[in-house]
This record gives sequence, structure tokens and C-alpha cells, in this order.
Amino acid sequence: MKRPLKNQNIIIGIVCGLLMLTALFAGCTSSPATQPVTPAVSTTAAPATPAPTPLPTPQAVSTTKAPVVIATTSTPAPVYTYSEGNVVAFTAASLKGVSPKLAADFAKMYPGHKVVFNLDGTQALRTQVMNGAYADVFISASNAYTTELTNGGYFVDGTVKPLTSNYVIVILPAKNPANIQSLADLAKPGVKIALGDKSVPVGTATIAAIGNLAKSTYGQNWNTSVMKNIVTYETSEPGVATKVALGEVDAGFVYESTYTASPKGTYTAITIPKVDNYLQTYTIGVMKQSTSKSAASNFENFMLSTIGQQDLKDYGFRPVS
Amino acid sequence: MNPSPVFSEKIQRTITCIGAAVLVASVTLYLAFPVVALFFRTTPELFFSSLSNPDVISALFLSLFTSTISLGVVILVGTPFAYVHCRNDYPGKVIVDTLIDLPLVLPPAVAGLALLVLWGRMGILGQYLSLFGISIAFTTLAVIMAQIFVASPFYLRQAKSLFEQLDPVYEQTARTLGASPLRIFALITLPLTANGLVSGAVMTFGRALGEFGATIMFAGNLPGVTQTMPLAVYVGMEGNFTVGLTISILLVIISFAIMIAVRLLARREASNA
Repeated sequence: MKRPLKNQNIIIGIVCGLLMLTALFAGCTSSPATQPVTPAVSTTAAPATPAPTPLPTPQAVSTTKAPVVIATTSTPAPVYTYSEGNVVAFTAASLKGVSPKLAADFAKMYPGHKVVFNLDGTQALRTQVMNGAYADVFISASNAYTTELTNGGYFVDGTVKPLTSNYVIVILPAKNPANIQSLADLAKPGVKIALGDKSVPVGTATIAAIGNLAKSTYGQNWNTSVMKNIVTYETSEPGVATKVALGEVDAGFVYESTYTASPKGTYTAITIPKVDNYLQTYTIGVMKQSTSKSAASNFENFMLSTIGQQDLKDYGFRPVS
Repeated sequence: MNPSPVFSEKIQRTITCIGAAVLVASVTLYLAFPVVALFFRTTPELFFSSLSNPDVISALFLSLFTSTISLGVVILVGTPFAYVHCRNDYPGKVIVDTLIDLPLVLPPAVAGLALLVLWGRMGILGQYLSLFGISIAFTTLAVIMAQIFVASPFYLRQAKSLFEQLDPVYEQTARTLGASPLRIFALITLPLTANGLVSGAVMTFGRALGEFGATIMFAGNLPGVTQTMPLAVYVGMEGNFTVGLTISILLVIISFAIMIAVRLLARREASNA
């Protein structure tokens, strides 16, 4: 038994249907030409534009665990920026600890400028950018990903510069539940080790360091046993540090900067000899898609300046040789 | 209700039809397009060649294995629990009601962290378990526990509402005829609610299959042990894009197959009944 529809129901039905259809098409086909920079002028229905990532105060940092796509279009569309002095910096997650200091010092050096960090594993940021996410500056923890982005034409020519470097270190929970005294103990049966996944820069650096150590000092059996002791491949470097801090694993391979910057007493550390270690070089570059290139260049200049480099040094990063 | 002089009856009905069609079309397309897009981003050759990737195979078997066990536990424990919960009034029933819904509103990563803080070897309970040499975090068991935690509300809510809405006449009649409560539950209640319970089970299986946040938090990410398909998609999407796509497509196919199978089963039951 169908209910006879009244006039107002019909009209509501049509309006809803058209709204949905417009939302659908707007999401699929909007191009930079039609998508405005400010949300005030909107030619599409409200549900269409994805909520612009709210820009917090410079001191706030956002750590994303899942890929965040700021623009849903195939060509990068400008994200909501409220002034020319804003910089969106896609940054390797290992800079999480130093990022508030960098933000404060950047605003001091360039009054009127603000930086917002999107911190995540470099591999995640690379995937986001290649699928249309907006960034002014990209700080990469791996030359491999920097090369990939350069070859894809994502950087402004001449702006890709080495920024800083980092060695790999082994951290243990402060209480050292497995009583690990040396790198050799990492091969003891039952020891739980956390590592970065091979797609994460710190992961490849760790595997390389372990390989070097096996070749020079500890042997292939040690290598095999250590790999057998790995219980998790984390998707970002801070993830490894968290598992160690929680005490759920006996050891984790992270960057030296994470250990140096951590509050005293959180971790115990075992250093890896420099000759076997893997020196990770970070690079910084201005993105071609940036709509505030002058602000982006200012940020890159700040990061390479004495103040920026000193901030990084204070948090355990090493200067580029 | 006087019909408007502008819109004749016929025009009204045509406009209604168009409106309805637009509605249905937009909802269907909005749900279907992203899924279809997955298939178009890769080629059949790439898909089949990455199927033989050991990471893909291990993720597939691990996911199916853990989700099936999680579903089994939820059904075996949840069905009697829901029945007892509905048929009796006990102190704290309201609290239990709320707790059943809690995992639905809890972000999965929070659920994972909570499980880790409780059952991890430094955990409130876990530290005693580790004295006996039992460790739960970073094992396949942790995957199953995480899946049960986040997916059980789907089944429990469904079972609860089914048992509550079941006409008490049937059970009461059986009681007067001398059947024990257990017999009533097994032979009267379950057959009458089977259809609804199965749909609840399908939802639970789907949710367990797709669980990510709690798994990576509590169980970690180790291929072959704890790397379920959603984790493999996430890691693969950032490292090996083709592998990530392949696993996503596999998940879509499996989900579709299960849903269709269940619907066909239900239709056969209905026509046999």
C-alpha cells in the first residue's frame, strides 16, 4: 500500500536528490579553477568540500596515523590558508619532538609567518603528496623518497638541500627487563625487538646497520637471531619509541635524536659504532604546487640557518657534513 | 488536501519518480564508485602476479583465520549471554547494556591501547600472566582479542534486539508444555531468530576482518603472525602500491562473496520454511 505523496514531500525529495548528486559530482570533478581558496565563496553544496584541516596555533603539531588527504582532487587544490605567510610542512615523523621549538623560532625570525607540521612516516607523506595532498615544504628522512619525488617533478628546482642527519641507536626501557647489556644480547632467545617497517626510512637504516654489524663483528647467526626476535614492524619511528617506552618490547631501533631529546630516565641506550652505523640524511625542498612559495623559501632558509640548525642540534640531530 | 492547481496529479507523480530515482542513483553510485575505482587502478596481470606475493598470501590466511575464530567465540559466548541478559532482570543490567555498546564509540586505536595497557606484559593483568611465561601482546591471540573487542557489539546488539522482540508466546507455550529453558532456547528461540543472528554474524565478521587500529596497537605488525589484511594494505600502500591494491581488491571480493552467500542462504531458508 503506497502512501500518496504530498507536494512538500516531492519537493524535499527532489532537493535532497539534487544536493546528493551535486555533492557527488563536486567531489569527483572539481578542478583548481572552480575550487576557491577561501571557503567563503563556495559554488558547491556544503557537504561537498571536505572540511579543511583546521590550522592550529604554530605551537600545535598534528600527527596523523592514517593517510590524510587534504584535497580530494587529482590535481592539487590549494588548502585553506588564511594568510600568505602560512607554511604547510610535510615533515618526517622523527622531527616530532623538535617541531614546537622550530615553529616558535620560525615565527620569531619571520614575523607574520606560521608553520603547520604534518608529521608522519616519510613513506606515508610521499604517498599523500603523490595522490594530491597539498604541501608547501617537504622534509624527507630518506634519500630514496627524495629522489622519487624529485623525479616526479614535485620539487622546485634548486630548492632540494640536505638538512640534517641522524644515526640509528638501540633504546631499551629504563628498567631493561631483558637485561640487555650489549648488542650481542639482542640475539638472546625470547628478547622482543621493535623495528621500523622497511617502507619507513628508519626501518631501512636499521636493517642496513644490522647487516653491517653482522658483517664486521657479530656474524650471520647473530643477524638471523636478531631478525627472529623482531615482534613488530612499526609504521613510523615514534611508534617504535612508544612501544619501548611502554615496556612492551625489550629493545627498539630508533634515531639518536629520539633518545637525546627524550626526558632523562625514559630509556637506556646502546650505541652502534659509527663505522657500522647508517647515517640517514634528511633533505628539505620547496614544493612546486605551493601557492606561497616566498613563505616556503623563508621556512627553508630558517631551517638551514644557524637558529634552525641549532634547534635540531639541541634535539640530537647531527649537522650535515 | 486540495491538490495544487499548478501540479496535476500526473506531473506530481513523474517528479516524484525522478526525485526517487536521483536519490537511489546517487546513494548507489556514492557507495559503488570508490570500490569500482579500486579495480580500475590496476591491471589483471599485476593483480594475479602480486597474488603470489608471500606477504599477500600470509595476510589473507591470517585474516580469514583470526576473523573466523573471533566470530566463533562471539557467537558461542554471545548468544547465550544475550539470551540470559534479555530474559532476566539483574542489578547492573543498564550498565552492562551500555558496556556492550562501548566498543562501537571507542576509537579503535584507543581500544588497542587499552588492551595493551591491560594485557601487555607491563599491564595491570598482563604482568601477572608474564610471571607464568604467558605473553599476549604481539601474538596472533592479541589479534583475535582485538577483533573480538571491536566486533562483538555488532552481534550482541543484534542478538539482544532479536530476543527482546521475539513474541514471548512461543516460549511461554513451550514452557507450559514442559520444556526446560535450555530446550526452549535451543529448539524454539534460536530457529526463530536464526536469520537475524546470521546477519549480525556477517556484520561481526566484516568488522573483525577490517580491524586495523586496535590490531596495530595491541598486536603489532609482523608478517605471518599479526599482519592482517588491513595492516598489509596500509603498509603496502606506502611501500609497494600494487600489493596494497591487490589486498584491497581481495578484501572487497571476500566481503562481497560472504554477503551474497549469506543472502542466498537466507532466501533458500525462507522458501523452504
